[in-house]
Amino acid sequence: MKHFRHLIKPYLIWSVVIIVIPLILTFLYAFTTPGNEVLTLSFTLENFTRFAEATYLHVILKSFQLGIAATLICLVLGYPLAYIISKQSESIQSFLILLVTIPMWINMLLRTYAWMNLLSDNGIINNLLSMLGINPLTMMYTDFSVMIGLVCNFMPFMIIPIHTSLAKMDRSFIEAANDLGADPVQTFWKVIWPLSLPGVLNGVMMVFLLALSSFVIPKLLGGGQYMLIGNLIESQFISVGDWNFGSAISLILAMLILIFLRLMRRLDYLDRQDD
Amino acid sequence: MKKNKKSFFSRFYVAICLVFFYLPILVTMIFSFNSSKSLTRFSGFSLRWYQELLHNTEISKAVYVSVTVAILATIISTVLGTVTAIGLTRSRKFLRELLLEINNIPILNPDIVMAIGLMILFSSMGLEKGYFTMLLAHIAFCTPYVITSVYPKVRSLDPNLANAAMDLGATPFQALTKVIVPMIKDGIFAGALLAFTMSFDDFVISYFVSGNGVKNISIIVYNMTKRINPTINALSTLVIVVIVVILVITNVIPRLRKRVGINKTVRRTLTAILCVVTVVFLYAWGNVANQGSRTLKVYNAGEYIDLSLLEKFEEETGCTVIYETFESNEMMYTKLSSGEVYDILIPSDYMIERLIKEEYLQPLDWDQITHADGLMEEVLDPTYDPGNRYSCPYFWGTVGILYDTTVVDEKDLEQGWDLLKNEKYKGNLYMYDSERDSFMVALKALGYSMNTTDMKEIRAAYDWLVEQRGSMEPIYAGDDVIDNMVSGNKAMAVVYSGDASYIISENPDLDYLTPSQGTNVWYDAMVLTRDCSEVGLAHQFIDFMIREDNAVANTQEVGYSSPVKAAFDMMAAEDYEGISSYVPDISNPADETFAYQDPKIKQVYAELWTKIKAE
Repeated sequence: MKHFRHLIKPYLIWSVVIIVIPLILTFLYAFTTPGNEVLTLSFTLENFTRFAEATYLHVILKSFQLGIAATLICLVLGYPLAYIISKQSESIQSFLILLVTIPMWINMLLRTYAWMNLLSDNGIINNLLSMLGINPLTMMYTDFSVMIGLVCNFMPFMIIPIHTSLAKMDRSFIEAANDLGADPVQTFWKVIWPLSLPGVLNGVMMVFLLALSSFVIPKLLGGGQYMLIGNLIESQFISVGDWNFGSAISLILAMLILIFLRLMRRLDYLDRQDD
Repeated sequence: MKKNKKSFFSRFYVAICLVFFYLPILVTMIFSFNSSKSLTRFSGFSLRWYQELLHNTEISKAVYVSVTVAILATIISTVLGTVTAIGLTRSRKFLRELLLEINNIPILNPDIVMAIGLMILFSSMGLEKGYFTMLLAHIAFCTPYVITSVYPKVRSLDPNLANAAMDLGATPFQALTKVIVPMIKDGIFAGALLAFTMSFDDFVISYFVSGNGVKNISIIVYNMTKRINPTINALSTLVIVVIVVILVITNVIPRLRKRVGINKTVRRTLTAILCVVTVVFLYAWGNVANQGSRTLKVYNAGEYIDLSLLEKFEEETGCTVIYETFESNEMMYTKLSSGEVYDILIPSDYMIERLIKEEYLQPLDWDQITHADGLMEEVLDPTYDPGNRYSCPYFWGTVGILYDTTVVDEKDLEQGWDLLKNEKYKGNLYMYDSERDSFMVALKALGYSMNTTDMKEIRAAYDWLVEQRGSMEPIYAGDDVIDNMVSGNKAMAVVYSGDASYIISENPDLDYLTPSQGTNVWYDAMVLTRDCSEVGLAHQFIDFMIREDNAVANTQEVGYSSPVKAAFDMMAAEDYEGISSYVPDISNPADETFAYQDPKIKQVYAELWTKIKAE
């Protein structure tokens, strides 16, 4: 069994060079003062203490709210779709999953621009509405437009893992439940839902992470006042040029995500224990 | 009956979801056939954007880069990821957990963090940024996705399978390829698909790690934000068509195989041919990219040049121009300070001052710039570069308020910048999403200098902006303002005069106001970097850009005011006749130009601006 043990060596070296070293560089930036030359490092915690201000905490809060809302909406809308797809014949299933996947290959920026054209005050939807004699609606630069963009872009990441675990499910469980007199609602909550939980957790994790750190979609569809943690990091690196503070914020974000992930794994683990 | 109803409901739901996913794509496709530039009103069927696509070598190169990087990154990361996933189940617990933890980092970290990390890494390793670094970065972020999709499949295999195979006489390699890989092929396929998708769609990482003119589709699209151009719609329509064709082929071939009986040898031959074609293709392109002995690297803002001028310059001098674009001066500075080398930069006034101070530039030799006589007096001897020792003007203008004459009361115009606080227009305006420009507005409205370092004045400007945010509910928009104002979405916007000229020429209901309290008079200029290796050629380029015919072509294409007198006069009298923004009014003594900011002061502004937006 030891034959394949060495197979991880190339990746081990590769990942140290291309993942760990950049991370160490980020750490170095986060704990040092700006304007340092490599040889005269002066360490500081200031980049972290600066973050403990109402404004920045508000940014974190808003990012989490948005991430959670987007994840819930993707789950509530995506689960039924994955469920319906999983009930089709195999060829229709793979066809429908393809249909869900294709949009991901079209440039995300382009799809977001298209939403801007659809939702803007004189946009396509409002033009259609005015033809029908309905007053135009303000949709751009609102929570609504940001949510549309996030859900449209990230929902496939929810649907695919849920579908995978539903499709894997042994049909005989459902038949057994029916035979034993469970009604459809009971069958769903007692049998189908628990069996699809690994997929749900995967999907939730993917969508939440993507939504939490996204900055292009909120910026384009929500306007500059849509300040999220991703935007904050981006602006520190690109417009402010304070790499130290930017590195510190990204480490904070990474820590928060790590905690979240531990929680999810714990859930997953408890779930397995139940089985 | 009940069942029918249920299945109808299911179908309806699937249809609704698919409409939601495909609506933006459909819009993209429909407007690729629009005869006008508008992306919201369909004025007639035409193929003009497809014609432009054919002629646009920049886009076809980007397609090539996107596709080949995606294919190579997918192949390499799939092999690497699968091999690692198999190895992981057999390795010691400590090593396994460690590697899985490391593997999670790229998936969890925001793109921007990884991008910056990789950029620093490549710079410190002395790797020249370009195709190769982009490929390395793509492999770096694709492999973790392959591992996460393959590893669970390997874990669910019976660990004794490989042993059994080897007991039966298979070599370890055979056990791997004949037993394990076929059992986990779903996972491998899913991982490869994910890797391809991620690579093909990536923007942030590619932007930071590539260079030397190597761009993928996303970078091109991002640089187009300024003036969204339906050419890119034509491109994505083609991408969709290609994907659909590939899908049809891959779905039809297995059926054909069953019917006709294509055997393994044929399949292998096909795969081999595909690989050879890819390699040849890559090699050929590498040669094409390296043609021409002398090269000039130019770094300019996006959508800020008539691209045909570059070809013309190449023809006249026989050199190759590598042209790259940035989104903001700060982004340019980030790339420059990370060690990227360019010959010519085209930044703005305050950035030039900073670059001079930090010794990034070398002085110009004005004897080599023969067309210097044609430059307007107004643009010479600026505060940021006294005597034009380092810079030659490129475009110039002011910042002002673009307003809808059908909505905004003429009497209100006297208010100048305070028009932006007139509650009649609440919820009906765009501010420019830029810290310096917004503070300029507030400082000027209060009668202070826009280069102030006085904390009390800065604080007052902050209060002005916070109050305005509360009472007016403005939208802080970036370059999307241009498209929005062309379609007349709001009554007012803070814009650059050059953008105003373009917008007014597309929507004549608008006019441009230069507030009486004074404004920002800005200049963008061409400078030579310290590391410029083709000094003679670089001077030729500068001279070329201010030659009358070229200056006319450039200002016609971009819409910004030319610093070349003949071109400026011609445009003001013909193309932009009656459009006041093309003729910047800089007679007001209260007007100023941005000066270099001390990092500490810049920090203060940046923090306050973040607070205003995050309120």
